[in-house]
Amino acid sequence: MRIAVCVKHAIDETELKTGPGGRPVLEGAACKVSVFDKNAVEEALRMRSAQGGEVVAFTIGSEDARKSLKEALAMGADRGVLVVGAQASLDTGRTARTIAAAVKKEGAFDVVLCSEGSSDTYSGQVPPMLAEALGTAYVGYARKIQLEGGKAKVERLLEDSVEEVEAPMPVVVSVVSEINEPRYPTLIQIMQASKKPVQEIPESQLAVDPGSSPVAVLGMSVQTSSRKRVIIEGGPEDAAAKLIQELEKEGVLR
Amino acid sequence: MSEQVWAYSGSGEVQCELMSAALELAEKSGRSAVAVELGRQREEVVAQSRLVVKGAGDDPLPEVAAEALTRAARSRHPSTILVGATRNGREVASRVAARLGWPCLSEASKLSIDGAQLQANRTVFAGKVVATVSCGLPAVVTIKPAFYPKSTASGKEVDEFDAGELTGVVKLLSRRKKEAGAVDLRKAKAIVSAGRGVKRKEDLPMLQSLAEELGGALGCSRPLSSDLGWLPEECHIGLTGVTVKPDLYVAVGISGQLQHIAGMKDSKVVVAVNTDKDAPIFQASDYGIVADLYQVVPAIKKALESRR
Ligand SMILES: Cc1cc2nc3c(=O)[nH]c(=O)nc-3n(C[C@H](O)[C@H](O)[C@H](O)COP(=O)(O)OP(=O)(O)OC[C@H]3O[C@@H](n4cnc5c(N)ncnc54)[C@H](O)[C@@H]3O)c2cc1C
Ligand SMILES: Nc1ncnc2c1ncn2[C@@H]1O[C@H](COP(=O)(O)O)[C@@H](O)[C@H]1O
Repeated sequence: MRIAVCVKHAIDETELKTGPGGRPVLEGAACKVSVFDKNAVEEALRMRSAQGGEVVAFTIGSEDARKSLKEALAMGADRGVLVVGAQASLDTGRTARTIAAAVKKEGAFDVVLCSEGSSDTYSGQVPPMLAEALGTAYVGYARKIQLEGGKAKVERLLEDSVEEVEAPMPVVVSVVSEINEPRYPTLIQIMQASKKPVQEIPESQLAVDPGSSPVAVLGMSVQTSSRKRVIIEGGPEDAAAKLIQELEKEGVLR
Repeated sequence: MSEQVWAYSGSGEVQCELMSAALELAEKSGRSAVAVELGRQREEVVAQSRLVVKGAGDDPLPEVAAEALTRAARSRHPSTILVGATRNGREVASRVAARLGWPCLSEASKLSIDGAQLQANRTVFAGKVVATVSCGLPAVVTIKPAFYPKSTASGKEVDEFDAGELTGVVKLLSRRKKEAGAVDLRKAKAIVSAGRGVKRKEDLPMLQSLAEELGGALGCSRPLSSDLGWLPEECHIGLTGVTVKPDLYVAVGISGQLQHIAGMKDSKVVVAVNTDKDAPIFQASDYGIVADLYQVVPAIKKALESRR
């Protein structure tokens, strides 16, 4: 079984600083593995221990994205592929075609795992677009995956229903965080991860189609909140009484 | 014929919301707004003008829905296709964009067309930042459910398109509707929301009764529904859950991570109860009480009761 897993080196929203003019400072911003991608890595590792084979982690990003690949390797992935280009953008089509080109270069995979959405831009578009670019089947929002006889049987978690579907392999699957509990690598595994192979490919080498019309970012601004931020002091009874008074004044009690 | 702005969602409710966005965009740019429906015309969809696409069946899997829309678009050349950003909708939009070779903007609001460029806002970094994005037309755009009000502009214009035979490689084995939640959080005037600060599932009725006392409903943070399974998935508020705008939002034992705030930041008045004075939720609240929820919640309930 050859399993690919896509991990994004995502901007850490909790560390993001505000610069002049209320713009976020993206240059050199702290990044982390996109949170749910750890669930995708975990699922890949479970597939490997059930079926045997190889887990290859892919990431498209800056040189710094090597750190996220290392985390996937520490968890247990066998090797990594780092496509070095611009920092991850909002052009999901372009990202998907780039991952597809890198995956194709590595040969045929039975399963390609992604997460339902990246923790920084949360669009949920890269996985289905990746399947389109690879020309494979796609199943989104998986909370359970069973592989058998060249087919993937998947339970999909939707807003108002749960579906069971069957897709032929090769297949791209996006997982929800409910699917598993990602493992924490041990210190030894973290140290060994540095010895695992990571292949670096410049994006320019993949000759990715830029698309008819790229998605451009014209500007960004950090949201400010204008809440009152009043802390109500006193013991529970006092505080509760004062709170009710305030809410009465606000006119939000029925 | 003027160029069309299409709106598609598998959910009738979201479809009506999309029609508001489509009409707004169409009016600003001299186009017309069309509700695209697969299989049949649905009663719950209110629209001035519709296009019914035959061939995909009534409730197709996203793969088949995408091919039906793709064929319809190849034949009718709309300038924009708006798709509701439900879980299935995101797949449909992505596939249609990939098949047509069009750019795709996601979770867009404040749409405008300037010449051949489409512009929109979207939030990124868990709602911390608003980005203004643009791309050329034609384009696919996804729109978050419950962002726009439902359109009420109705009319009788109906057009049909036969997409021919459609099949997909993914097979549906079973579909089970989740038990419908008792209340729709999006309509609640008051919401009490439970977070990880709640120690046991057995303590939830305490919060439920506070919610009832306030004339509202009980919601939660994602861990309570997704990780602990104490409440149904559709009760969680935030980036991956529902977006709510009640008059009163009471966050109880919720730390206030950005992904949660993203779903409740437009509430009129926000109250937080948390033992940690540095919890970020206090920055996103109008009134905060730094104390143990097990003492404060019963006290608030009592104060409310004595008010009557
Ligand atoms: C891509 C992505 C999407 C996400 N989407 C969502 C989403 O839609 N909605 C969502 O909610 N989360 C979402 N999350 C998760 C989010 O990041 C947080 O992990 C989550 O909101 C934390 O939930 P919490 O505040 O209940 O728990 P915690 O962060 O664990 O906070 C518990 C709080 O309870 C307080 N507390 C403890 N005991 C008491 C007591 N006795 N009395 C009062 N207070 C007490 C603590 O001080 C603490 O602040 C998402 C995460 C990612 C990566
Ligand atoms: N730059 C990237 N590198 C690797 N994987 C990615 C990248 N962007 C998105 N993905 C994958 O696609 C998923 C969904 O991303 P998104 O469509 O951005 O919400 C992520 O969880 C990853 O699995």
